[in-house]
Amino acid sequence: MNEFILDDIYIGLTQSFSVTITEEMLDKFLAVTEDTNPLHIDKSYALSKGFSDRVAYGLLTASFYSTLVGVHLPGKFCILQGLDIIFTKPVYIGNTLTITGKVSYINDAYKQLEIRAIISNQDGIIVSRAKIKTGLIDA
Amino acid sequence: MNKNEILSVTQEIFRDIFDEDDMLIQDSTNSDDIEEWDSLNHINLVTSIEKEFNIRFALGELVSLKNVGEMLNLIIEKLK
Repeated sequence: MNEFILDDIYIGLTQSFSVTITEEMLDKFLAVTEDTNPLHIDKSYALSKGFSDRVAYGLLTASFYSTLVGVHLPGKFCILQGLDIIFTKPVYIGNTLTITGKVSYINDAYKQLEIRAIISNQDGIIVSRAKIKTGLIDA
Repeated sequence: MNKNEILSVTQEIFRDIFDEDDMLIQDSTNSDDIEEWDSLNHINLVTSIEKEFNIRFALGELVSLKNVGEMLNLIIEKLK
């Protein structure tokens, strides 16, 4: 886990990590959220709607934005304050996602960071974009 | 920019932060007048104002502000 403090952080500081989406992740997300929409749990239904498999929950994949800020950028001293997400492409079981965040603004007075983040798949296609606001509780 | 122009731009920022398209602010407006003007939204306001006007505030300048009018005057000072 990274432990960036305000003095370490600059505009353009970038961190990323990768994760592969598994069927178990979808099942666990279903158990927690009880989101039984057939697009996520019924392959034949998803195929009938033009998708190539069950579609991973958007907020399952977006949960890795939490990991991005809570573990990587800024890491330990993060307090998530806001998240604005746009989903651009579907994600399927077996996809390997790379989550990348770059610091785009620093409010020095109140120790707030703005981070532009993207999630891209194994083919380099962006599946979502996010603007994230985090505080820093480094003192 | 004159004060009215700065007020107009700042009002749009308030409308965006507080998600109220018809919100009107004036010099005397303060956090008692806007229910959702809490500490986090205050930080969001400051960040948006800094970015919009391309200025930076120091914490010491912000803690003494009592209302929108004082914020507008501080913005005017920063833009000189």
